[in-house]
Amino acid sequence: MSRKKIPRSKGASAPAANGPLPVRPGTVRPGSEAPLNGPLQPGRPSLGGGGDLYDVAFKVMLVGDSGVGKTCLLVRFKDGAFLAGTFISTVGIDFRNKVLDVDGMKVKLQIWDTAGQERFRSVTHAYYRDAHALLLLYDVTNKASFDSIQAWLSEIQEHAQRDVVLMLLGSKVDSTQEREVKKEDGEKLAEEYGLPFMETSAKTGLNVDLAFTAIAKELKQRSMRGPSEPRFRLHDYIKKEGRGGACCWP
Amino acid sequence: MDPAPAEQRRREGAALQAARDRVPRIDPYGFERPEDFDYASYEEFFSDYLVVLARRAIKWSKLLKGSNSIQKSMKVKRYIRKGVPLEHRARVWMVVSGAQAQMEQNPGYYHKLLEGERNDSLEEAIRTDMNRTFPDNVKFQKTADPCLQKTLYNVLLAYGHHNQGVGYCQGMNFIAGYLILITKNEEESFWLLDALVGRILPDYYSPAMLGLKTDQEVLGELVRMKIPAVADLMEGHGVLWTLVVSRWFICLFIDILPIETVLRIWDCLFNEGSKVIFRVALTLIKQHQAFILEATSFADICDKFKQITKGNFVTECHTFMQKIFSEPGSLSMTTITKLRESCRAKLLTQG
Repeated sequence: MSRKKIPRSKGASAPAANGPLPVRPGTVRPGSEAPLNGPLQPGRPSLGGGGDLYDVAFKVMLVGDSGVGKTCLLVRFKDGAFLAGTFISTVGIDFRNKVLDVDGMKVKLQIWDTAGQERFRSVTHAYYRDAHALLLLYDVTNKASFDSIQAWLSEIQEHAQRDVVLMLLGSKVDSTQEREVKKEDGEKLAEEYGLPFMETSAKTGLNVDLAFTAIAKELKQRSMRGPSEPRFRLHDYIKKEGRGGACCWP
Repeated sequence: MDPAPAEQRRREGAALQAARDRVPRIDPYGFERPEDFDYASYEEFFSDYLVVLARRAIKWSKLLKGSNSIQKSMKVKRYIRKGVPLEHRARVWMVVSGAQAQMEQNPGYYHKLLEGERNDSLEEAIRTDMNRTFPDNVKFQKTADPCLQKTLYNVLLAYGHHNQGVGYCQGMNFIAGYLILITKNEEESFWLLDALVGRILPDYYSPAMLGLKTDQEVLGELVRMKIPAVADLMEGHGVLWTLVVSRWFICLFIDILPIETVLRIWDCLFNEGSKVIFRVALTLIKQHQAFILEATSFADICDKFKQITKGNFVTECHTFMQKIFSEPGSLSMTTITKLRESCRAKLLTQG
């Protein structure tokens, strides 16, 4: 627990206090095609690849009750796949990476998937402070998971960075099970807290890529927007791009 | 004369296909092998390991011949470190962990637990994980007959009633699942789970998870002592140990390392206790020290910690088990107890 404080942003030019994850100090060059993070050293084929190239990296965290579909959402985004009945419960904390092309720049999202069971919160909240963005999920077929959102929000308020990018997602809208949370209820809650909100389906892919892309755009823009560039509007973006259930509040 | 490159590739392709044909698609425990399973390397390893298994089987049958009980001794410890044959594994785990004695002293207790007072939130928590426990194992799939999901449910429910301070914690589903696959016996699985959760592991699964947090920090301290460059790297990039090792501790390496390796680790875990977990963790880190130190960012470090649990080094379980008792160097229980005390105290003051 002797973790030292890491300086997060360098100088006043960085608009966000919660700056990008330093790939290598001082080497974030917008528009540069040069790989800043070289491939893995050769000679370790048994350890597999992973040496993806990127210009800037951010940490995103998925939170919400056990079984709301955090891992499914992540796998859908990462691999474009949804295979019912192939998911195992996430224990502790795990992650997957994906590199996105955002306006010509390679943005690496390191996405942390967490166990939803309450007792793991004390293990995982240690990571909140490092997260640049949080996706908070509830299952539209499970009222209890929606009722927990308030508790999750207090948890986030207590442990996350003040300017963390936060988005509320209702999941499993494709489900044949009876819906227990109306879309309007999700919208209302989102409005109350000023959060961008969408309903999603890992099965059909509805709004899955959009959620992560919007996050990536927002983070990229926050970290390297020039003074004259217009501000990226996350709420407007998902309102414009979202299908069947995206909504937002300024 | 060297074969032409095309011919060479064709031969390699054929050899790979042959390995695929020879190695069953489902392993002896019922797990479907993943898409990217390296059949050729596995076959190469396994043909050597078969020789080891045969030799150990003879040794163990001599050891167990004519005696009903296994007495803990240096010889038994040595034998266990070299691997318990699958056919004796359940019996040996039961005896050396004390589960057998508990079961004999409490006849009928397990079945009484199943009829215990209902607890909706416990049942709900367990049920949420039923379809999410080993969906890649044919014996746990809904269509299996008999389907082990019911057995798993019973073991976890009984345990939740038995140890109300712990109830059900995610991770226990995987552990109980392995116990069921090995013992093929519901009641024995329950008593082995009790041996692990109640005695061998120090408070990993209770709501505060203090034992787990403590041991993650203890590992950090051990790395600082034994592999300081890695400790410096972690600290320099602000990577908390919990981020990279929580699953190692909670799942006791299930789904982290290959099953054969996990079972060999558990052989020692039941006999020698939780110290073995540190030995495995330290070995993984020390063996890959240079590789880990190539990392230049937070994200890199996390990737590396995932990658060091894959590949031939961990598949070759017999060599791996030899390594865990040599690579990390001496690791006394006194050291671990002291570190546990200091780390625990620190965590408690931090709240």
